[in-house]
Amino acid sequence: MSGEEEATVREPLDLIRLSLDERIYVKLRSDRELRGKLHAFDQHLNMILGDVEETITTVEIDDETYEEIVRTTKRTIEFLFVRGDGVILVSPPLRTAA
Amino acid sequence: MSGVGEKVSGTTKTPADFLKSIRGRPVVVKLNSGVDYRGASLSRTLTCLDGYMNIAMEQTEEYVNGQLKNKYGDAFIRGNNVLYISTVNMTVADGA
Repeated sequence: MSGEEEATVREPLDLIRLSLDERIYVKLRSDRELRGKLHAFDQHLNMILGDVEETITTVEIDDETYEEIVRTTKRTIEFLFVRGDGVILVSPPLRTAA
Repeated sequence: MSGVGEKVSGTTKTPADFLKSIRGRPVVVKLNSGVDYRGASLSRTLTCLDGYMNIAMEQTEEYVNGQLKNKYGDAFIRGNNVLYISTVNMTVADGA
């Protein structure tokens, strides 16, 4: 068909493979975030993470003042299996970019 | 289904053609949750995607309710969360 086609088109999953054994940031449903070391993953984005910190963000609205109170709860987990259907986004950890 | 999509620029006729044509182009990705992701500048583009609409993008900015919330060096977005992928016209960037 068209002129050039790579023999192996790189998929997004190929690029996640580059992050194996690196620390990553994962955004999950239910306003949760994980930061941990990626040990393994599959095409469903099931993942095994080590030395994980989970952050849960909740927003409460005060009935009287209607102000939004943003709270974060953190916990650490040594070894974690993440089911892929809850994953929204995967990224290298946010760095202070120059 | 002939004729559907002929308004789209040039050669794309099917969704599969669209997905082939957008690699390397600046895009806006909107998720089911309403959050959207854009390349941080016009040169920042969609790196690749697959048939499940899993997406890899460089230098991604996350917008919630139109407000910039986060920036990511690289972002992989799981396809089931994607509502749409839209290309962005390369006009003079409006001030942000």
